[in-house]
Parts: sequence; structure tokens; C-alpha cells
Amino acid sequence: MPDSGYPWPIETTRLDNGLRVVVSEDRTAPAVAVNLWYDVGSRHEPEGQTGFAHLFEHLMFEGSMNVAKTEHMKLVQGAGGSLNATTNPDRTNYFETVPAEHLELALWLEADRMGGLVPALTQETLDNQRDVVKNERRQRYENVPYGDAWLRLLPLLYPPGHPYHHATIGSMADLNAADLATFQAFHRTYYAPNNAVLTVVGDASAAEVFALADKYFGAIPARADIPSAPDGRVVPATGRPAVETITGDVPAPRVYVAHRTYPFGTPGYDVLTVLATVLGSGRGSRLYQRLADGERIAQPDLVGAYGVDLAHAPAPLIATATARPGVTGERLAAGLAEVVDELATVPVTATELDRAKALLTTAWWRQMSTVDGRADTLGRYATQFGDPAKAGERLPAWLAVTAEQIAEAAAEVLGAADRVTLTYLPEETS
Amino acid sequence: MTLITHRPGPGAARPYRFPPVVRRAVAGGQVVAAHLPGQNLAVALLLLDAGAAREPVGKEGLAGVLAKALEEGTAQRDATAYALAIEALGTELVTGLDWDSFQVSVQVPVDRLSAAVELLAEAVRTPRLDPTDVRRVRDDEATALRMDWANPGPRADAALRADLFGAENRWGRPMYGDPDSVAALDAEDVTVFHSEWFIRPGTLIVVGDLDRLDLDALGAAAFAGTGGGPVDRGGPIEVPIREGRRIILVDRPGSVQSTLRLGHPSPHRAHPDHVPMTLAGTVLGGAFTSRLNHLIREVRGYTYGIRGDFASSRRFGRFAVSSGVQTAVTAPALVEAVGEITRTQAGGVTEDELAVARSWRAGQLSVELQSPRAIASALTTLVVHDLPDDYHARLRESLLAADVEQVSAAAAAHLHPESLTLVVEGDAAVIRDELVATGLGEIVDAAP
Repeated sequence: MPDSGYPWPIETTRLDNGLRVVVSEDRTAPAVAVNLWYDVGSRHEPEGQTGFAHLFEHLMFEGSMNVAKTEHMKLVQGAGGSLNATTNPDRTNYFETVPAEHLELALWLEADRMGGLVPALTQETLDNQRDVVKNERRQRYENVPYGDAWLRLLPLLYPPGHPYHHATIGSMADLNAADLATFQAFHRTYYAPNNAVLTVVGDASAAEVFALADKYFGAIPARADIPSAPDGRVVPATGRPAVETITGDVPAPRVYVAHRTYPFGTPGYDVLTVLATVLGSGRGSRLYQRLADGERIAQPDLVGAYGVDLAHAPAPLIATATARPGVTGERLAAGLAEVVDELATVPVTATELDRAKALLTTAWWRQMSTVDGRADTLGRYATQFGDPAKAGERLPAWLAVTAEQIAEAAAEVLGAADRVTLTYLPEETS
Repeated sequence: MTLITHRPGPGAARPYRFPPVVRRAVAGGQVVAAHLPGQNLAVALLLLDAGAAREPVGKEGLAGVLAKALEEGTAQRDATAYALAIEALGTELVTGLDWDSFQVSVQVPVDRLSAAVELLAEAVRTPRLDPTDVRRVRDDEATALRMDWANPGPRADAALRADLFGAENRWGRPMYGDPDSVAALDAEDVTVFHSEWFIRPGTLIVVGDLDRLDLDALGAAAFAGTGGGPVDRGGPIEVPIREGRRIILVDRPGSVQSTLRLGHPSPHRAHPDHVPMTLAGTVLGGAFTSRLNHLIREVRGYTYGIRGDFASSRRFGRFAVSSGVQTAVTAPALVEAVGEITRTQAGGVTEDELAVARSWRAGQLSVELQSPRAIASALTTLVVHDLPDDYHARLRESLLAADVEQVSAAAAAHLHPESLTLVVEGDAAVIRDELVATGLGEIVDAAP
């Protein structure tokens, strides 16, 4: 096994307009991944404009100066490619993987919507995509049992005014109020070359990509004074737990326990990542062994714990369990809290630690096993930590975590006084 | 600012490459492997002829319960010791089920594959299957299905399947069973199914850096203690197309969306029209740019997405469209979706659309076949459908060679808009009258 988590070449450059370009050549497959990270996410949204960064992401597929409406998807798919985009509190990313001979097409499309979206943006497009996003909200959050858990956890974890207080999907009221001028301004403000990282991984050389990047993106002007999001790094502890109970149309009681931990990318979060795996990943995890197997109060397929990899504020750790028939929400919540509490008091054994590290090692190499997975990773490290090569440090950092560090982190950030507990109960309990 | 206005054409095309395939008979079983030099991860997947179609009618969900029971202890160690042993290698035991096969797999750094395959075989060949554990797993599985069936979708899928294939047939019932069928299983059903189908050798798929792997040793571990030969898998089943359309209404009071499932039977996997039919399905509903998604999402804004495709197993197939639309537009969305299917059947496809569909499908054979898991899945296709080593390269050629005439002919022959079953899962009290007014077909209420 290599010492680094990234044993491929990485070459970088910066265009005169500030666009950072990252290239990692790998000729194994005749495919190339193109990935743009824009350093803008829902954390930048002011009150009254929740959901705008994500709605904007939709508008980026609806045509730009030299690309007709609906043509973007058609050109990428017509080249044999896969494409998508995602928005989260931290950032927005756009990506396509195409057969290598279509690299130039992908770069041209990305440049055209970076530099030429505003003239193509119409009220009709905005209205249509607003409807699509409202349907996305219905489908993913409103029409499924427990679907709004994330929307409820965030305001319990982060106070009003904090950049992570609201969910990326936004509110229906704000989406309804979105007007065209706001979106035009949004693009002019944030979609600048000096606010983005372009990463290309796969069947292409760095020299070729740098030249093409300059050809297509080089003339897009930089923007001065890109406003930053509110600083969320310090979240004052309230000193008392937050508890919310929802009674609704759900098939069984479910409990979420959540904590603010450390920002992604810090040594503390590396410890937290291993801790979350010990706690809630796999049948050998503490939650499974204690709640699903031992006491048998939780449904085996629905226990787990994970950190949400956010980098601009203490990121959440979420642990969850769903009750077996006949088990009350109260009992389940107590059981879940007990297992989380014990992370600080019952030392993690060598077996537990090795198991977690082995699972994380596989997860890391799985992410690295495709050119698109690698491109996203390099884009993240270039955007959030200023250096794509830092990606290689993550796996070794996980592997260096000790049982003592886990106990210390648990004592520091998983205390009952800082705990958020969200419980869902079925309407009719029989 | 100067953006480049001229859209660049493609560069020199790279030759298509699928990893070299190695087939070997070992210890009574077959090993099929693909070589990925330099890849740190490796996958091993045991493919058994124990798909859902092997379950007796009335015992739906048997294979799913057995899959979970495999990890409840083996002849050598209890459940906890097993979990710790396999997870210490960096993998969980991943099981999968479809109509034609049952799959169990592990994914680990390449130097751990041999140990992982030994543990895989231990669970598959020598599970403890203690009746008390099996009953608990069954109850958990029934609960898990009840949870899943509280989501929109599973009830609509079941209603469509039963209407297409007949609930008296195994393939007319849900692939994973339903909460009641699973709750009714007993421990002996599970042990009998295991002894009938899980002791035969099957095929071991291996994907990784073969220079660092010993296929004979892996095969020997996977096939140790097995016996029994292949069992006849049966020929294609003739499924009648219904006379006239009907709407099946599945009530979901208070739902803010209506879940749509539209479909009819279609040919089995080995049908000679497989490629043109796939392309017709792609133009109609298989890609983001397809007719259905363009109209229903991008023009109308009724939905977050709508998809349609032909899917097939060894013995049968179906054409289906699925979506979730805002409750208020249920009727117009349904009318327009049926309209696009009708238009495609009657008028075929255009060269412009087909050009996108064929290069997309062909390109996906490079773009989406990178990870060891994706390659392993491609190899299972070769095994289950008796296809040659160069199948993916040949498929690519046939996709690129398909013309408008062939694909339009496939659409005309294999789409049946007048025979569609239209399942709508939504708030019946709100949408019933509008559905009646569409005149699309008689309305039948699904059993609650």
C-alpha cells in the first residue's frame, strides 16, 4: 500500500485571471473527468434568500451565451458523457466525465457558463427551474417519512445568522420570492474565475489542459471583492441540550443525536471520522453491537453514525437509530445517548480501531478508483485548503489516530450538554 | 470579454478498451476475472443461480432473508466474531439479488482479497442458520420492508408488476417480497433454499490487479465443499399484452406528490431487438435529454425528473416509466406522458435524437466502467446472459451502427401505448375526478 493516499501525479497552475487549474494524468482508461468547484454555497445566502445557490446551480444547465437552452446536457450526453452538479452549504460543483476526445468540448461548455450565463438567463427559465426545485423539495424532503430530518437538525445545531443554520434546499417562501435580478447579480458576484478551481483527471496531459484552460477561460475577467460568507467558526455553546420531538406520519420511532464537532480538514475532524466509523459503520460498530444485536431495540439496517464533511465551521456528527416494534422512542433515545456517552469513558479497543481504519482505507481507495472521484477530491483540497496535494494526507492522518485521541475528542465535543436530539414518533402508537 | 463562440469538435478518438477477461475452471466452479493493472482495490463476487425467480410462489423474500442470515454466525464463529473478522479486512459482505442471480461480494485492498474470499465462502457455504436467529432475521426483514413500504413507490411498483405479469406468478410479485410474504416465512424455508441453491459452486468474478492475485487459490476457496451441477434455467416466458389501458389508483392520503408508474410487458434479454429497443427507450425516457424529461420537467416543470426504459431479464422484460409529480398536475402529467409514448410509437425517432442516444450509450461503456465494482457488474452480465469476452466492444459497435429505421421499427413494435397500465399513487380524494376526466382508461382501486 502506498504511503500517500494520492499516488498519482498532480500539476497545478493559475491563469492570469486567478482560475486555478489542477491536472492529474492517468492513461488507464480513455476517459477524462472535468470538475469545477466554485467557492460559493448556501452558507453565502442572506436571510430571505435560502435555496438560491442551489436554484442557481439548476440555471447553469439552461444555456449560456453560445449554448442554447437544453443544449448543455445534449452536448455532453451526445459525446457519451455523464454529468451532474451538486450544491451544499460550503460550495457548488459541476462535473462531467467524457470519452477523452471530448475534453475540449467540456472545457468550452464550462467556460461559456462561467463567463456568459447572464445574457442567456430569462424569466421563463427561472420560473421553470423554480418549479423543478420545488418538486425536488417535495420529492426528497416532504413526501417521505423522516425526509425533513436534516432540515430540522441544522437550526438546532447552528444559531440564527450562522452560515449553516439553514438547509441548502431553502424554504418554499424564499424560492417563490426569487427574482431574476438577484440571480443575475449572484452570477456576477460569485461565478468568477478567481473563485473557482478547474480540475481535470484522466487521459490528458497537464500541458494540454493548461493550454486549453487558457484558451477557453483565459479571457474571463477576474472579479475583485468577492464577498465572503459570515464567519461560522466559533459557535457559542448554549450549555443546554436541544430537544425536538415530531409526531407525524412515520412507520416507527426514530432518533437522531447530533453534535457540532470540528471543521473538516482539521486534525480534530480526522479523529472524529475514525470515531464515527467505530461508533456507527458496519455490523462490528458499537451502535450495531449494542442496539441492533445486544439489546435488540434498534432495526439492524437503520443504525449508523457519520460526520458531514463541512469545512467552514464545526461539522456535525450524526448518529441515528430506528426502533424495533414495541420499543418506545424514549428507550431508543436513552440507548443511543448511552452508546455515544461511552465513547468518552469506555476506551476504544485495538480491534475496534483496526476495524475502523480498514473500512476507511477501503472507502478512500473506492473514492480514488474512478477519475471523477479523484477530480472531485483534488478540487475540494485545492478550494478548501489551497493545495490539491493535501488530499494525499487524509488517509495517513486517519491511520495515525489513536484510541486516546478518540476518548479526548468524545469528552470535548460529544458532551450531553451540547447534544441535539431529534425524535420522530408515529401518530398512533399501538 | 471574449468567450470562444465556436464549439470545438472532438479530438482523435481513442480505441475502446474493456479490461482483458480471463476464464478458468477451478475446483468444480468457474472463475471469470478482469485485469486492472495498478489498481489498489479488488472485488470478488460470487454469482449463484439463486435469483428471485428461484423462490417458490408464496415464499417471496426468501433469498433476502437468507442473505441477512448468512452473517448470523457460521460453522466456525458467531455473528459478532464474523463481523469483526470481515470488517477488519476493510469490507462488509455485500449481497445483491435480481431475477436471474444472487450475488455476494467483498471489496478490499488487493492484498486482502484472498482472506476476504475465504470469509465470504465461509458465510455462503457454512452458515449456522440457527432457527432462532433465522426467525429474528425474518422479523427484522419484515419490519425493514414495512419501513420501506411507508415510502412512496413500493406499493405502486407492486401494483404495476402484478398487473403486467399476474400475481399468480412469482415474477408478478415484488422481487424482494412484501412485508406479509416475508413475515410468513419459516426457518425451514430458509435452510431448504440454502441447501438447494447455495451449495452449488456458481461463478466467482474477480476484478483487480491479477498480477497480485492467485485465481486458482481464490477459486479453490470459493468452491470448497460445493457440489451439484447447473439446473435448467427455463426459456423465455410469453407474457400477454393487455387489451386497452387502465389506471390503478393507490391511495396515499395527504401526499404532496403523485408517484407515477406506467408500463407494459416487453421482450426478454436475448431478443434480437435488444439494441434498437434500448436506443428507442433512451430517446423516449432513458437520459436527461429524453423526450419525457424534456417535456414534463424542462418545459412543464411538473416534476424533479421522469425516466422510462426497457428492462429485461433472461425470461421476461418490461417497459416502464416512473416519476413523482406535484399533486395538482397529476392528470396533465399523465396525459402528456402517455402522449409522448404514443408519439414515439407512431412516429419513431429522429436522427438528431438518435445521434445523442447512440453516442451516449456507447460512451457510457468507457465512462461508467472504471471502478472494480462496475467492471465486476459488467462481468456478471457476461456470465448470466452467456455472452462472449468481447461483448462490450461488440455492443459498442452495434450501438453506433443502429440507424433511424431500425430504432423507429423497434419503437413501433415494442411500445404499446394503448395497452399501458397506469399506476398512480397519490391522494385519491384529490386526484380521482381529474383522472376520470382524462379518459385515459377505467380506474381500478388497488387493495389498501
